[in-house]
Amino acid sequence: MSGRVIGVLGGSGAVGRVAVDRLSRYGLGPLRVGGRDLGRARAVADGAPGGAAEAVRVDLGDPGSLAAYCEGCSIVVNCAGPSYQVLDTVARAALAAGADYVDAAGDAVALRALASDPPAALARRSAVFSAGLMPGLSGLLPRVLAESGPLERLDVYVGGAAAIGPLSAVDALLTRGPGFGSALAAWRGGRVVERALAPLRSVALPGFRGRVHAWPFLSAEAADLAAELGVGELRNYTVYVSEHIPEALARAWAADDLPVEEHVPSVVAAADADIAIGGPWYTLLFHARPRVRGGGAPTRLLLRTPDSYALSGVVAALAARALAEGAVPAGAHAASAVLDPRGVLDALSRDPLVDEVDLG
Amino acid sequence: MTSPSVSPPAPGPDGTDPVESVLAGIWAELLDLDTADLTPGSSFLRLGGDSVLAVRMAALVRKRLSVVLALSDVTVEITLARLADLVRRRRTHTGAVRELPLEVSRRADPAEPFPLMPLQQGYFVGQQGGWELSYDSAHFYADVGLTGVDGDEAADALTDALERLVEHQPTLRARVTPEGRQYVLDPGAPGAVPRLLVHDLRDAPADEVAATLARVREEMATSGPDPSRGPGLDIRLSLLPGDRGRLHTAMSLLVFDGWSSTVLNRELLTLSSDWNAVLPPLEIDFGDYVSALARLPETEAWAADRDWWWSRLDALPSPPALPLRTDPKDARPALMLTLERHLSPERWAALRRNCAERGVTPSTAMLTAFSVVLSRWAGHRSMLLNSLQLNRLPLHPDINRVVGAFASTMLIPMELPAGAVFADIAADTQRVFGEHAAHNLVSGVEVARELGRRLDTTRPVGPVVFQSTLGMDAALGEKHPASVGPLGEISFDDFYHQLRTPQVALEARVYELNDEMAVVFSLVEELFDPAEVDAAFTALVELAESLADGPGWDAPVELPEALDPQGAGLRLGLPGPDRVAEESGPLRGDTEQRVAEIWEELLDVPVLDRGADFFRLGGDSLLAVRALARLAGEAGLLLGVRDFLDAPTVAGVAAAARPAGETR
Repeated sequence: MSGRVIGVLGGSGAVGRVAVDRLSRYGLGPLRVGGRDLGRARAVADGAPGGAAEAVRVDLGDPGSLAAYCEGCSIVVNCAGPSYQVLDTVARAALAAGADYVDAAGDAVALRALASDPPAALARRSAVFSAGLMPGLSGLLPRVLAESGPLERLDVYVGGAAAIGPLSAVDALLTRGPGFGSALAAWRGGRVVERALAPLRSVALPGFRGRVHAWPFLSAEAADLAAELGVGELRNYTVYVSEHIPEALARAWAADDLPVEEHVPSVVAAADADIAIGGPWYTLLFHARPRVRGGGAPTRLLLRTPDSYALSGVVAALAARALAEGAVPAGAHAASAVLDPRGVLDALSRDPLVDEVDLG
Repeated sequence: MTSPSVSPPAPGPDGTDPVESVLAGIWAELLDLDTADLTPGSSFLRLGGDSVLAVRMAALVRKRLSVVLALSDVTVEITLARLADLVRRRRTHTGAVRELPLEVSRRADPAEPFPLMPLQQGYFVGQQGGWELSYDSAHFYADVGLTGVDGDEAADALTDALERLVEHQPTLRARVTPEGRQYVLDPGAPGAVPRLLVHDLRDAPADEVAATLARVREEMATSGPDPSRGPGLDIRLSLLPGDRGRLHTAMSLLVFDGWSSTVLNRELLTLSSDWNAVLPPLEIDFGDYVSALARLPETEAWAADRDWWWSRLDALPSPPALPLRTDPKDARPALMLTLERHLSPERWAALRRNCAERGVTPSTAMLTAFSVVLSRWAGHRSMLLNSLQLNRLPLHPDINRVVGAFASTMLIPMELPAGAVFADIAADTQRVFGEHAAHNLVSGVEVARELGRRLDTTRPVGPVVFQSTLGMDAALGEKHPASVGPLGEISFDDFYHQLRTPQVALEARVYELNDEMAVVFSLVEELFDPAEVDAAFTALVELAESLADGPGWDAPVELPEALDPQGAGLRLGLPGPDRVAEESGPLRGDTEQRVAEIWEELLDVPVLDRGADFFRLGGDSLLAVRALARLAGEAGLLLGVRDFLDAPTVAGVAAAARPAGETR
């Protein structure tokens, strides 16, 4: 593989910029920063701390442009969205060029799109989806709490105040229905139980600022995690600082006769209103109850960051490093299923974008 | 429909509430259910609703009932009844009309347990020991002299009357469970009828009579009836030489309020005086009322009152900073000291006339007078007082004839202006009192609980209490019967009483007896300097007399300069002892896990940190009692109330409860 580069698509965005920076610091070799705007991509490439980064203009909607970009890459890290449009397009281009693939977003639907009709290269190469915060860390980190034995219960709280851009808003609006998850549901006794949980309004949670609202949402990732670990009960909550976002989403979903784009401004505005309350911040909190008591293993993991998008870039870079180190088997995977939870946690606890990691 | 509403919604052709049936139709449509499956208490969530369907529901309500609901109102947890109430209010815009969509009716099962009312909870918790200013029993004891007693008939007449009264008033059969719920025994159940104890001293020498009476008084005043163990009423008859007698009664405050004790005494004496007397039947009992009130928090009116109080909490003053000689947390009172003086019938009549002339009630005048006395004693003019209120919501025509623990408290912030005359201060008090009393759907106990939570204290926030039952005799109609058949004649001037109320440092009471007005101080004696207590009580009586005689009204009232508490030393209303600050962090060890799990189930919120505080998580004193019971029963973790209060965090409780020898 010598002489090949690691490509970062969407490299001048909020996620990609950080992925470029970390990959460069990890010393994984020369980088290729791709973006629609060459000037912005070049600015990011020039700022790479480890040097040896080139900027390339690329248009995701143009198969020729994409194929040319992937040519010569050992790994393509995709930080461009929106996920619902990208799906497996970039993954297929990367694999066709003989590269491994990392997607900082890309949910179960994107993974399935690739896996349902796998290209031949997938027998030798890897494609890692959901290498971000949620999905991503939300499905990976709780595994640390299950290291020493099965869990009777696992509670997951992820959220805070984060900007939602117009493209992410579409992704958020589409996180409903088969393949994404189910509101108010919990995992109990080996299956999804609908309407098992009520929203927690105005509660205090460790690591979260002030009183927050926690909305039960059993994501596909959480259900998979529960099934894989054999967790008796899993409660997964998305946490908001106000009810602006859940209300905006509910309104949009109720008016499903309108095209999804119509609802984007209200979701963006709701997220902005949340940030106006106390700035951006984001917390991941996992709380476990082991089936066998008194073992002394850690039962709680807490991680705080000021910027959820930037931290997704770190996770994508860590996934790329795992690929480069040959730690990921061939095939299409979710990041949470193939990354080493402890290794990622250790790396994150040293990362300047993480305010706190507390495992106890 | 027996709600006090001015304009109850017209029932539909089938007798159902039209709003509720339209809403039930909307729910059935959205949730794909039959309307028969919907009950008023069903929540949208439980029936299969989610936030998306809630938005659609709001849209249908807008379309079919022309009512616009905010999304924040239509939560997924909303019940059909609450939604119906919301829609009715939005429709009529009659914010001022306190129409309560509550109906009191006979419960299907009269033996079914029902919750304690907020003040009952307070008394129940106060009986658990460990709380500041608590007693083994909260009760009222009284005895009264009788003359012309028919010694051979009196006991039988009273026993028979008691049996009939127990049948008539189910609360006489009330019991309280260890978890803090209550139920009514069947009239035929063993122990349902309190047993009359007779002390026959007709032939005893004078010194034995005196010694026995003193012993009975002491016994009944210090160990009151406890409905968690037996009847809430203890009744005894002493037969004395010379056809005299004494009737002793002790009533648990847990099941009887002040109004009830008056009703009970009257009915008992009416039945005792006449074997054939029949009391007008009651259509409802206390349990029916409490069960109807269970839906009060679902009403908009209740939510409005709560918001009204909550918005004022942070600005409430502290209690009068009376100088103390003992910290209340170290006091272990057995009895409260009682001071009592009466205004003669002439003066009491004059006081009523003067009050009427100034447009204030005698209760307001006495509350103002008490505040003035407190202000001078405490050295500041702004203070929080607590008051005991009858608080029977007029939900049924029989409500005032039912015996039960209806009473509640109400907090009143008093701010006495400097340099004003008494009449103006009283007028101001009347206005403030009325304004607060208009928001009585949320009780003072609940308000005090929230205030304690905000102040981060488990000490009583309203330890100085005012209670007036002036006007109650008039409200009850005919006067108290003086002649009671075989029991003879009641000597109203030979009346003794004792009160034990938890969480109270000082209580002033005014009541009418035999055309006189009685002024009473009940207090925890060891807290205060006796000379200061005497001076304050005398000042209150003198002020009342001066208001009866006239000059008290128009003279400027001398008050301290300071508005807020000043001065050093031990004073009432000081911030509580600092709670032990447990280090926050993940739960450690099995014991903390168990504590967290039990709290989580009780409080219905996540408990994920060892530093999480029971009261800040939303717990209250009754829930704390339940937590202690469950910790003991389910986890084998024993600890006292005091330990719990000293460190009410997961780690604190686990540490206090951890059996010796266990290390982690």
